[in-house]
Amino acid sequence: MSFDLNLIAESLPLMLMGIGITFKLLIVSGFLGLILAICLLLMRISGRWFLNFPAQVYIYVFRGTPILVQIFIIYYGLPQFEAVRDSIFWPILREPTGCAILALTLNTGAYVSEILRGGVLGVSKGVLEAGSALGMSARQNFIYLTAPIATRLALPAYSNDVISLLKSTALASTITIADMTGIARTIVADTYAPYEIFISLAIVYMIFTFGIQKLFGVIERYLGRYMEREG
Amino acid sequence: MDVLTGWWDDYFWGAIVVGQVFMCSLGLMIIFGLLGAMAKLSNSRVAQKIAGAYTVIFRGTPEILVILLLYFGSAITLTAIAQIFNPEIKFVDVPPFWAGTIAISIIVGSYATETFRGAFLGVNPGSIEAARALGMSNLQTFIYVRIPEMWRLALPPFGNHMLSLIKDTALISIIGLNETMFVAKQAITVTGKPFTMYIVVGAIYLGFSTIITLVVMGIEKFGERTTIGAK
Amino acid sequence: MSTADAQPLIQMQGVNKFFGKFQALKNINLEVRKGERIVVCGPSGSGKSTMIRCINRLEEHNDGHIVIGGKELTDQIEDINAVRREVGMVFQSFNLFPHMTIVKNLMLAQQLVRKISKTKARETAMHYLERVKIPEQANKYPIALSGGQQQRVAIARALCMKPEIMLFDEPTSALDPEMINEVLEVMVDLAKEGMTMICVTHEMGFARSVADRVIFMDKGEIVEEAPPTEFFENPRSERTKNFLSQILSH
Repeated sequence: MSFDLNLIAESLPLMLMGIGITFKLLIVSGFLGLILAICLLLMRISGRWFLNFPAQVYIYVFRGTPILVQIFIIYYGLPQFEAVRDSIFWPILREPTGCAILALTLNTGAYVSEILRGGVLGVSKGVLEAGSALGMSARQNFIYLTAPIATRLALPAYSNDVISLLKSTALASTITIADMTGIARTIVADTYAPYEIFISLAIVYMIFTFGIQKLFGVIERYLGRYMEREG
Repeated sequence: MDVLTGWWDDYFWGAIVVGQVFMCSLGLMIIFGLLGAMAKLSNSRVAQKIAGAYTVIFRGTPEILVILLLYFGSAITLTAIAQIFNPEIKFVDVPPFWAGTIAISIIVGSYATETFRGAFLGVNPGSIEAARALGMSNLQTFIYVRIPEMWRLALPPFGNHMLSLIKDTALISIIGLNETMFVAKQAITVTGKPFTMYIVVGAIYLGFSTIITLVVMGIEKFGERTTIGAK
Repeated sequence: MSTADAQPLIQMQGVNKFFGKFQALKNINLEVRKGERIVVCGPSGSGKSTMIRCINRLEEHNDGHIVIGGKELTDQIEDINAVRREVGMVFQSFNLFPHMTIVKNLMLAQQLVRKISKTKARETAMHYLERVKIPEQANKYPIALSGGQQQRVAIARALCMKPEIMLFDEPTSALDPEMINEVLEVMVDLAKEGMTMICVTHEMGFARSVADRVIFMDKGEIVEEAPPTEFFENPRSERTKNFLSQILSH
């Protein structure tokens, strides 16, 4: 047993061909998931039970079940119904990529909405009272005070969730998608060299994780200027 | 629901396997987490570096890669070792149960490392000083002041780690563990009802998540009662 | 709101307020005329903050009537914000908007509520920052200012809305002793200009020098109400005497 560097040199370019798909999954479901999360958040804080309750059930179900099960229900499960196969969504749901994006979106939306809610709850009550006392409406309070302050408070947790999402994209390989992990698994099946392939791929993922952390660090510092005493 | 007839006992045994993986990985996760935290808090720079690498690696690598690496990697490593003693041996089979259990406990342990470290550092130094000033011994301070306060800080994130563990058990089906996902796959080949079969899996996991959440809530309540005024 | 002087600016009649079973205000009757300066004092939990918070409806009273500048505060009131912009409020903990610079703090409500243009709002903001003597801090964030400076900004922010009435909810209690005076000076100036003010405060020197009337509250009730000389020299109620002896002894 030896660590075959030539094999890595040969396989790495192959695996990196999956980078496009990994990023597509990350960015598209990250973006759609954020929109979903904002909708869920607004339902949660609407103060109306018929909006709040369904949102709470949704979040509970999607946070309480494994993402792999969610992917399988959507990819393998939904075609069980003729109505799904006849619907206008079939072109998306027929494709594994469409299913993976849908599953990742639904999953991350549930987590992110809770992160955003944490930010909203972190906004000091006094600041909002000051807004009201100046005659600002509830809507103005939300747009000009709650939203910007909560965004800054939620950012660190949000960046962790983006990293989780990146890691979850690797599960797309379980439904035949040739993302980086999917390609790596094919190579391992051929060469039977798990150490070389999986470790080098893990390093690639770690580099991306590092990049995401740095990116959010910059955003946090930019949006958090007001938290530093000098400047 | 007729299609499920005859499969309930398989799901039941699958759920038992999920429970077993969870219990074993919970114990290991706590050990990894405590070792990591101790290393990070120790005076040894080497230990700090190793623990730092541990958390960076396993928080930045997709779970599925870790599981695949540990499973296939340990198989070829053990085969190579076995062949030294007995060249007749062609292949050593690694039980997916243990490969998967160890993999997910290493992963979640890397998150627990930060939780335990944070809890240890989060103890109000004033309480420790006060205990000293009252003439309590080191041991008494540790038992009556430090542990209860640490426990209170660590419990909420620790509950999340337990939820991660239970959900990560689903990933072990990828390397062939006979748990509920695996049962569903078999049931689908016979009945052709993938949606129904995977929904059952989802429901089982939701049940496990609910139990864990309720237990954590119960412990939190209990903790609040026994450490009145600790807030 | 320039009604005849005969009509009080603030009228509270038989106001009761409950938090669950706890009665925070008991049968409050109070009238404040234009230009009057009222100081409210009393032990903590006596309902003094709750009373002034009812005046701009940060708390809703349970029964009785509150009329501000001729408008009664009820559940049906269609635009509470129209009342609130005539009533300025200064909080104990300043409550500046942390994510905005000082000048933006002063401009925001002018633009949103008074619909004043950005340039005009900035002018007004700078005018009031100069009045509270910190125009040089305009482009800093609140965290960079001392407590006393933050509270002066909070006063300027309320003044930018050109309110008829100013409410002060223990404006100096969260301040270090050396910063109390800079805030009180601004309040004294305001009083001299004839602003209608209700101040919840324990600064008895301030009460003596500017108040027209001092109100003592205890357990949700107005126990005593008198001009400052009478209030301090000759308090009628036993509870007031007790309170004064505690607060003046140090």
